[in-house]
Amino acid sequence: MRNKAANWILAILVLALCAMSSVAQTAQATPPPPTAPHLTVFPKPVEKNLPNGLRVIVIPRTEMPLVTAQLLIKSGGEVDPTDLSGAADMTASLLTRGTSTKSATQIAEAIEALGGTLNAGAGWDVSTITTGVMAPRIGSALEIMADVARNPNFKDEEIERLRRQTLGGLRSALATPGSIARFVAARVVYRDSPYGHLLGGTPESLPRIKREDIVKIHSMYYRPDNAILVIGGDITPANGFELAQKYFGDWQNPPNALPKLQITTPDSTASGRRILVIDQPAAGQTAVLAVRTAINRGNPDYFRGIVANAILSGYSGRLNWEIRVKRGLSYGAGSSLDTRRSAGSFMASAQTKNVSGAEVASLTLAEISKLATGELLDSELSTRKASLLGGFARSMETTGGVVGQFGSLAMYGVPLDEINSYIASVQAIKAADVKSFAASRLNADSTSVVIVGNAKDFLPDLQKRFSNVEVISVADLDLNSAGLKKTVSKN
Amino acid sequence: MKRLTLLLISSVFITAAVCAAYGQTKMPQVKFRDRTLPNGLRVLSVIDKSSPTVTINVWYHVGSKDDPDHRSGFAHLFEHIMFKSTKNMKAEMMDRLTEDVGGNNNATTQDDATIYYETIPANYLETLLWAEAERLASLTVDDENFKSERAVVEEEFRQSILAPPNGRFFYAMDVRSWNAHPYKRPGIGSIEDLDAATVDDVIKFHNTYYRPDNATLIVVGDFDQKQLDTWVDKYFASIAKPNLPLPRVNVTEPARTGEKRFMEYAPNVPLKGVALTFLAPSSKSDDAAALRMASVILSQGRSSRLYQSLVYQQQLAASANAGADLREDAGMFTFTSFAANGKKPEDVEAALRAEIKKLQDAPVSAAELEKAKNQIVTGQLRQRETSLGKSNALGRAAVLLGDPNRVNTELDRLQSVTAADIQRVAQKYLTDNNRYVIYYLPESERPKTSGRNTLTDAAKGGASR
Repeated sequence: MRNKAANWILAILVLALCAMSSVAQTAQATPPPPTAPHLTVFPKPVEKNLPNGLRVIVIPRTEMPLVTAQLLIKSGGEVDPTDLSGAADMTASLLTRGTSTKSATQIAEAIEALGGTLNAGAGWDVSTITTGVMAPRIGSALEIMADVARNPNFKDEEIERLRRQTLGGLRSALATPGSIARFVAARVVYRDSPYGHLLGGTPESLPRIKREDIVKIHSMYYRPDNAILVIGGDITPANGFELAQKYFGDWQNPPNALPKLQITTPDSTASGRRILVIDQPAAGQTAVLAVRTAINRGNPDYFRGIVANAILSGYSGRLNWEIRVKRGLSYGAGSSLDTRRSAGSFMASAQTKNVSGAEVASLTLAEISKLATGELLDSELSTRKASLLGGFARSMETTGGVVGQFGSLAMYGVPLDEINSYIASVQAIKAADVKSFAASRLNADSTSVVIVGNAKDFLPDLQKRFSNVEVISVADLDLNSAGLKKTVSKN
Repeated sequence: MKRLTLLLISSVFITAAVCAAYGQTKMPQVKFRDRTLPNGLRVLSVIDKSSPTVTINVWYHVGSKDDPDHRSGFAHLFEHIMFKSTKNMKAEMMDRLTEDVGGNNNATTQDDATIYYETIPANYLETLLWAEAERLASLTVDDENFKSERAVVEEEFRQSILAPPNGRFFYAMDVRSWNAHPYKRPGIGSIEDLDAATVDDVIKFHNTYYRPDNATLIVVGDFDQKQLDTWVDKYFASIAKPNLPLPRVNVTEPARTGEKRFMEYAPNVPLKGVALTFLAPSSKSDDAAALRMASVILSQGRSSRLYQSLVYQQQLAASANAGADLREDAGMFTFTSFAANGKKPEDVEAALRAEIKKLQDAPVSAAELEKAKNQIVTGQLRQRETSLGKSNALGRAAVLLGDPNRVNTELDRLQSVTAADIQRVAQKYLTDNNRYVIYYLPESERPKTSGRNTLTDAAKGGASR
């Protein structure tokens, strides 16, 4: 693969026309210009609330006889008790591993006999159960989904099995430079707040999680007034609502009120900035991240933020252009804006040969800095918007993608109609908006750097470029707190 | 020579039954038009107005197996160079014509073919046909761009092989499994061979393999058929078919004559790996469908045999997979598993072999077979949700299976597989004499007496062709 997160287009064409029409004259030597744009229609959701408070959204799409359904619980890893990182993810993962009437194997056999899939897990702000099947079998799939959401039995045997599997996966992740860097970055940005810990748990926290912790999370958060059911694909709204009522209609809310969670994350500051090296001598490549706080999903600057990020990210975004295309230093460089319910972060990333680690860190920060202080021509802005909008449109080519997009809006309480105003909202962003966002939210001087690799190859160079470089050996890494270093009791 | 009447003679409209029914589900057929230009370029097109976009897919029938001697990884490096300049396009102009207008592009180098693709707003179809014709007919390359892109490919090597803890394990699979066929050289190559590549190699490779009679152009999406034909003629018909012969790999992988065992050691191995590989037939073989069905029954989903046995019940393995890696000239049926922490690879191997024996000793149940067929139908529907997925399926049928109609008949082949077929292919291919075993272990476990790991040496250099 030549790389890059692929993304997709459409009605962007208006500005694309401007970009192209000046070129084509002679047929062969220059590209022929575009013809008239074709119109795009986004799928239309229909929704209703069941009497128990469950919000049901159906998005019909009839091209393929497939249906994807997702139950979203509006609570995820952020509800993990301190010291029990990974509890919410274990809770979600255990749903499909046994109910009051079916064993883990019987659940797998039932869904797979339909040709379908059933996956559950926790993210930040959300836990999900997702099923995808051929359209005529969606009733059976929803019956299984309702059973696992409502009646998990959390057998000790399954808890131990999952714990061992999760610890095994963690061993691999903690041997991978890119994964280590992301784990460390979360602690650097969110520190000891609930977003700072590992979603899947740490080698220390996983053994501490008990059955009662899991049962408690399930009983507190898995309830219809904290849930959304999104069904997309070859199904009518009437049929979708009927199935929702049949399998979730008698799901009761517990008498206690839903706990409210407040997460506060202090903004990244220049004085709090860290230049942090995790020394992994066995690393075959170095992972470089630049990371800082940004905005939450509900922030009015959301569209300014995603357009600013699009200038930096993507194949022809500034980071990949400078690091890969111009200098051949990486297979791919990019960035992302992670907008959560109560906070958010910005992260730029690339992997490079160990000896180039310091150079890539400097290049990354320089591009972040230039976004606020350098020139941004309308020609660049319009092409990056086109790329952003194309990706948005392509994300809705599949039933899974459609369900994902609408589910994400619904869980953050964003009106579903944002899908239809998305293009206009992006197009309305001006160069001055991007620059002011970059200056106020993406200041490079308060952006921290995390580098995971074989430090002896890049540390001297890095120390010339930055003062206050911290070095932690991967063997001493402690992901359970923002200090990140094991306090070794010498005896 | 653009003679429309002549062109039409070689074009066919396929009007198959609209749908074939599987259970209660109807599988939409891919209705394609098939024409071949006088210069040999095959053009397959499918009208699909579900989104206002078009996907262009250009398949070149040249892949990693065609890497020149001492240039492992070259076909893939070359693929990257195809995004640089042409006579009338500056470097990265392909991105200007796709990404900048909301589209995307990419390419993939497989063992047997190299595929370039872009999805674009439908009104850019003509523009991109021009651009694809440009890089087929008049690729140019300068030393600076070549070296910079080669450095990118070397980072891709590090990112996929050296950085992930299991990268070297998967790298070892082709290197150790094939004896004679150039499939033994991993498509990503080796740093040494990539460093040895030159601009001259690029020009020679383009002249040899990038020609209309070695290409299949696939267009799927929202377009007008007549207009497409006109544009294809305008931009592609004048590209000459060279008189040079088109070289083909002509190596038969010899039958295996006994078990071989390989121990690979790497610096960063959190979970030990075990692979069993069995020489298998080509993707065109009549046994291909039964082998694929066997791989689904063995390892697709948590109710599959390997998950149930190795991961769930015995808890020996963190993961266990079976795959029918069937290629154009020959194939490999593979088992890969990572031992759970503290478990021995020997026990994982024994458990995998017990599952093989079970498959050979008794037919799979009717329920297992039905389940696998449902999983395959659902997977195929998912693949065909996007125009890119549809075009990939059509290209694979036309170029690798030798008949575009296989895009619609492949599912029937899979549906007609019986339990007896699966038992038969398990007995035929998964034999003791046809088994190679690879263990992937931490460097610290290497015996003091053993020599250096020659994996990288084995991966580079020439292959008997």
